[in-house]
Amino acid sequence: MANVLDLRRRIRSVRNTRQITKAMKMVSAAKLRRAQEKAVAARPYAAMLASVLESLKRRAEIYDPETGECRSPLLLTRPEKRILLVVVSGDKGFAGAFNTNIIKAATNFIQENGQKEIDVEAIGRKGRDFYRRRYGAARYSGDGTRGGRGANIEVTGEHTGVLEKLSYERVREVAMKIVHRYEHEEIDAAYLVYNEFKSVIQQRVVVERVLPILQLGARQIAEAREPTTEERERAAEAALSAGVSLFPQEAAAAQQQLENETKNFGTAEVDYIYEQPAAEIFADVLPRYITSQLYHATLESVAAEHAARMTAMDSATNNASDMIDSLTLTMNRVRQAAITKEIIEIVSGAAAI
Amino acid sequence: MATTLKVRLVTPERILLDMDAEAVEIPGKTGYLEVLYGHAPLLTEIGAGMVRLHGAEGGEESYMIARGFAEVLPERVTILAEEAEKPEEIDVLKAQEQLQRGEELWNRAGDDPAKYTEANEVVAEANAKIEGAGKK
Repeated sequence: MANVLDLRRRIRSVRNTRQITKAMKMVSAAKLRRAQEKAVAARPYAAMLASVLESLKRRAEIYDPETGECRSPLLLTRPEKRILLVVVSGDKGFAGAFNTNIIKAATNFIQENGQKEIDVEAIGRKGRDFYRRRYGAARYSGDGTRGGRGANIEVTGEHTGVLEKLSYERVREVAMKIVHRYEHEEIDAAYLVYNEFKSVIQQRVVVERVLPILQLGARQIAEAREPTTEERERAAEAALSAGVSLFPQEAAAAQQQLENETKNFGTAEVDYIYEQPAAEIFADVLPRYITSQLYHATLESVAAEHAARMTAMDSATNNASDMIDSLTLTMNRVRQAAITKEIIEIVSGAAAI
Repeated sequence: MATTLKVRLVTPERILLDMDAEAVEIPGKTGYLEVLYGHAPLLTEIGAGMVRLHGAEGGEESYMIARGFAEVLPERVTILAEEAEKPEEIDVLKAQEQLQRGEELWNRAGDDPAKYTEANEVVAEANAKIEGAGKK
């Protein structure tokens, strides 16, 4: 049996670990709050953009009446031969099953579409590491064009460090690249795998199609994985102890009012004067719509990552506490056993005299 | 007052500006336009340039904006822009770098008209930034 000193050392070590996980939990909670605020602040723009498109759609003739040709290449559907899959994962670990779930969903998707060519675009270090190891990067020849295809599945781009300080500019670059590739028929569809975040207890991993745009305003979710009830309860508990409100109510009320207003944006039953031909504006707005979707996905993913880390660290802290309790119990027992033994020795020694 | 416009400037990251003003200057893609109360409903793309608010509560307000569009209603103006900066916050050095990059793009564009358009946009944005920097 271990001696008292060893046990005392172990307890001290576990206590240090608990201190760290507790700090990480609080940090994640603070970051989560900030990420949530950011996501809320980004909503008006996205909502207004969507409603402008909605109103434009009715006025702009998407299909040329004479030739029947589509005005925007982003609305054209082609048979899906090559798919672009954007995987939004986290940059760091220690977030429970967060990264695993994303990668699992993405891998499932890849397997289901095994016979097609798939380009993987990874946002976030964890996803990149995984797919780089597994499939290898695409080879580019010196002049910037793609060389021959090495395999059916390749990693064509990686964007690490985008998530840490999320800025619209960085996301725009990624989105523009995707739009550009779609326009030049390098890819026939673009899907997004990310963790959707509604609140701490309401999140899910979704696979969403962003290109081609089949129906404006409607999200095209191909797959979704809901968290189990246990996971939800765990998350709720963690949020409670970290002081994060589950349903930010005051924010929701302000949100409602804003949404009512933004709904009217652009869709009002007025005859607008269009400075540029409606079709032209329409074509210009579409890529922005894609960017805004991608930005939205990354924002939600960041919030979800922090929420997952908070939950994981809360569990770790609880586990550490349990361990300290049980170790303390053992230590006391060992100590008492040692004392009893000593007393017996003394007593029996005295009796022998 | 019933003669003021509600002006809102929205960027992807947040609502930058939400206030009343008597008149707004908007950098439309095909030129500046000034909007007063009671303007006919209008929708326009914006080019790179300065938005100016006249007769606002806190005096004049101006922002450098680029890439987006604006909706004008008789009593409300909403501007959506991917980029918006206060003139005193513009980083002139960065803008000059951008200008150079744009010119490089232009030189390397070759025969692709789309690339020329892109290069032109970058240059116009950089120029607008340099011009607007420090001005009120």
